[in-house]
Amino acid sequence: MNHRHKLYLLLIIVAAAALSGCSSIGPKPWQRDLLSRQDMQLSGNSLDDAIDEHLYFSKEASSGGRSFGGGGCGCN
Amino acid sequence: MQLKPDANGARGRLIAASCALLSATAARGGETSNSGTGGVLADWSLDSALAYYHEDGRIQAIEPVVNVRKTYADGGTLDLDFTFDSLSGSSPNGALSSREVQTFASPSGKSLLVARHLYSVAPGELPVDPNYHDQRFALGADWALPLMRLLRASFGTKLSYEDDFFSASANAALARDFNQKNTTLSFGVNFEGDSLRPIGGTPLPLSEYSLFEKTGNKSKDGAGLLLSVTQLLSRSWVTEFNLSADRFSGYLNDPYKIVSVIDGGGLSKGYLYENRPDTRTRKSAYLENRVGWERASAALSLRYMTDSWDVHSQTAQLHVRGWSAERDRYLEPTVRWYRQTAANFYTPWLPSAAAQDAAFASADSRLGAFHALTYGLKYGVHLDDKLAREGSEFSVRIEYYIQSVDHGATAPGTLQGLDLYPSLKAVFVQVGFSY
Repeated sequence: MNHRHKLYLLLIIVAAAALSGCSSIGPKPWQRDLLSRQDMQLSGNSLDDAIDEHLYFSKEASSGGRSFGGGGCGCN
Repeated sequence: MQLKPDANGARGRLIAASCALLSATAARGGETSNSGTGGVLADWSLDSALAYYHEDGRIQAIEPVVNVRKTYADGGTLDLDFTFDSLSGSSPNGALSSREVQTFASPSGKSLLVARHLYSVAPGELPVDPNYHDQRFALGADWALPLMRLLRASFGTKLSYEDDFFSASANAALARDFNQKNTTLSFGVNFEGDSLRPIGGTPLPLSEYSLFEKTGNKSKDGAGLLLSVTQLLSRSWVTEFNLSADRFSGYLNDPYKIVSVIDGGGLSKGYLYENRPDTRTRKSAYLENRVGWERASAALSLRYMTDSWDVHSQTAQLHVRGWSAERDRYLEPTVRWYRQTAANFYTPWLPSAAAQDAAFASADSRLGAFHALTYGLKYGVHLDDKLAREGSEFSVRIEYYIQSVDHGATAPGTLQGLDLYPSLKAVFVQVGFSY
């Protein structure tokens, strides 16, 4: 087993442990009033995010991360 | 000549569908959703914006964007996006400032002898093509649907058209909830095919600019993966961690960018068209945390990206939203910090002694080392009562962006003392309306 395989195995173990550990944390279904607010949504400002991504994509070498980055041209 | 990245793509749709289900309980228990409209419109929502972008002495752009969403009874959503861009102004052509007057041809030009297509740049000025203009139309459709109680899927497609560029992409994702829906794992794939038809033809890589050696159309293709974990940590805290990778291959040059060839005394010896490697693999890690209070919320996102061109970048962004006592208005200041290292073939100029040996070279400042700061402020007013519809909002957003070069190489001879790496300053204004 080389280093890369060991790293993958470690990642899988950590992910499984994290998932099982997550079972005891987090709110109950009736405690999600704040989380249901629009400003608490991870994609709550999707139009703003899309416009910002477009701007930064045209001016910087990085894009994506939040979602797919796109290959684009950005020739300006 | 841009393609909007899929910032609102498959993973976002799945989260939105998840949140629609999540908030359904609150809506049923308290307020009445879309109470005033009823009928067919009750299932539809509109999100629109008009954005204006202005760079100091360079590009300006105007961009209307419209998103229409239909929400189904089972929590599924159908999104249709329409985007139009109109860009004009002056675009850097990659050449270096000089002590002498420099003359270039617009992309449609075929010779430096035909005055109709020429433009000149004064000594000390950054060479920019003053006649840059472009328009883009983009259409997107995304469909998110529940498959089982804890499993959702989404499918999306996007088309983008410009005079010299066409792109088509498709994506699909699966999301599974765990732990009383406090944990969500999702996995998505994206495929993209692009066609490039540069104005005036595609220049031969690293060919002498004055010879106008050009060929036909080009293409590039890409595929990407995205793995995401979302965790509700408490009643007021949600976190998300994404790992993504993509690979593009084909024609990855900017066909309009050139590189100055400079001798040891700083004098221009001509220009070459740029050349980049024909594959690029990118990997990124993204972490976002959102925390809410009764009348405020904060979102902090961090991103690290690296690619096979040796670009490494870090991004940190913070939004803080404060609500009025009636919760009908809010102010949201934003600050963003970004830094990147240079691509391993980036060079502001090519020394004349080494120009013939170069395999790859680009003077595109977007591939250089720099850092950037964005400051922004958003003001929003809820119009739920006035329009008798929940979720109605009018907003105004303004941002200021400044980009400064890091580790700029010292120029030889007569170029010393010139501002070879001017900072980029831009103002961005957006008016938004949701219904």
